[in-house]
Amino acid sequence: MSLLQEEREIILSNEYVDTFDFAEVAEFVKNASKDLFISHHFKKKSKMLVQPRGGFPTYKKQFALYEFFVDANVDVLPLTIDSNTRLNDYATSKKMLRLSEENDVDMLNGYPLVNHGYRTTRKMITHFNKPVSLRHGTPDARLLIETAIASGIFEIEGGPITYLLPYSKNFPLDKAFLYWKYVERVCANYSKLNEPINRESFGPLTATLVPPSITIVIQLLEMLLSLEEGVKSFSVSFAQQGSMNQDIVTGAVLKKLAKYYAAQINCSDASIHLVYHQWMGAFPMNKDYAEQLINMSTVIASMVGADKIITKTREEASGIPTKEANAKTVSNTQYTLGILNGLPNVVDEEEEEMLTLQVNAIMEAVFNDPADTLWRKVFNSIKNGIIDVPFSPHIINHNNMITIRDAKKNIRIIKRGNVPIPDRCYAYDKAQCDLTKDTTSIVNDIIHDIGIMQ
Amino acid sequence: MKVVTGVVGNDIHVVANRLIELSLNARGYEVFNLGVNTYLEEFFDAAVETGADVLMISSLNGEAEGWSREVKLLKAKYKNLDDIIMMIGGNLVVGTGNAEDIVPRYKNYGFDIVCHQVDLNTGLDMLETLLKERSIQSKETKESNK
Repeated sequence: MSLLQEEREIILSNEYVDTFDFAEVAEFVKNASKDLFISHHFKKKSKMLVQPRGGFPTYKKQFALYEFFVDANVDVLPLTIDSNTRLNDYATSKKMLRLSEENDVDMLNGYPLVNHGYRTTRKMITHFNKPVSLRHGTPDARLLIETAIASGIFEIEGGPITYLLPYSKNFPLDKAFLYWKYVERVCANYSKLNEPINRESFGPLTATLVPPSITIVIQLLEMLLSLEEGVKSFSVSFAQQGSMNQDIVTGAVLKKLAKYYAAQINCSDASIHLVYHQWMGAFPMNKDYAEQLINMSTVIASMVGADKIITKTREEASGIPTKEANAKTVSNTQYTLGILNGLPNVVDEEEEEMLTLQVNAIMEAVFNDPADTLWRKVFNSIKNGIIDVPFSPHIINHNNMITIRDAKKNIRIIKRGNVPIPDRCYAYDKAQCDLTKDTTSIVNDIIHDIGIMQ
Repeated sequence: MKVVTGVVGNDIHVVANRLIELSLNARGYEVFNLGVNTYLEEFFDAAVETGADVLMISSLNGEAEGWSREVKLLKAKYKNLDDIIMMIGGNLVVGTGNAEDIVPRYKNYGFDIVCHQVDLNTGLDMLETLLKERSIQSKETKESNK
């Protein structure tokens, strides 16, 4: 028996799992409908796929949510997992699920997939016969993704960096790399049986003034960590940043460099897709304004040339959205995509060059780390500040990089910390901003720049 | 002047915490930032360890209220913390409340400065005013002891 299989048996002999039948699950994946695989839909490339977010504690409510989404002409269904499951606290999620079922009040902020189990959940997924994307935020997602794939969920979001640095203060980053290595290998193995399982990285990170170079570097590194384990279908992603031009430049550079770096490790056979998140920062309280913002995000996603868009709702500022509001966004977004025709082709060569130089310099510094494997190089690079994510709560993150918006609302680096931003790019970024002010006014500017859409 | 700061409890909201650190640095304080998700014991331990003059606790999700009830009790267990300036700010209740009710309640919990939904720089100005008053007082005490 391989080491991986031994580990799988330990992970799945969990008191919260009702006997995991490896052979039956493999047989199910092998014969599963192609429609369940988002990788299959990406191949057809007929339109930008629309995917909302959403998860409710009970089977009944999740089923009802999916009915609403299907009526709204959804392309990809979400399954958002509750926060207890994300932290592997299955006992609490079990208790809260029971309370939700008995009292008709939601006691969880998502679907506790492990507690429901794959036999139950698979009935719902195969009933709707649409691709489902797993949305969570779990550093140790081993049991969760085993359950997800056995349920018919063939897109797995996340990664060791993007699911840790924005969400955790002190979960050990080295452990997260090893737990995600397991996820990649399981996805790669199942990919041999039918259409490939798609892995997606979480580009928005902290959604707070993250400069595009940091976003792209982390997207590329999670892609490489995934491809080197044998994953054949991968989505890089980022969220609306606040400047349409910067989004278009970011999309172009990310697409180009993803192909380039995949080829460098002889993985050109893997298909790479681009996902765009509608605005992930603070939303306006005014629900009509929120709809305008969402609509604008859709336009930008089209300009960027995204393969999939992930939607927000008009209720974003006030809490977990109702299924009605959530479905409304899906149909509105589909409508906007349908009428958006004859888009201009915008290319900003100077900005693309600057961004590419930044990304390549950081990537080179990561590869030059003396560690023996890629994950250790990446781990060391985060530890020594070569990669620095603004506003990450994690203790390993340096927090020495400072960014603000220029007059056109592009995110610019005004303090690079330990990140090896080339001098020329650093001077260029700083030249776009008014740095004559004192620090107190700059802090006020940062506060304003974070709340730009409110 | 040394300041220990952080976000109390299981609150992970980090943005204001970073901005507090930046602003304190800009005003010339020596900052020890414990970050988000910090328990009361960790604040007091850090204050002793660094010899801080100010302990500045912040909260966004409002869970500060639950923790603050234990401040006096816990602080009494530490030696050498009698002179530390205790400051708390952010969103200090779960749900909504008004400052007239909240401020006296928190002063009773043992805080010298309480900022409920107060602008960052206004709060830091309040700290500076108090620090000035204290330094004048301590000078006067020294004078009168001569």
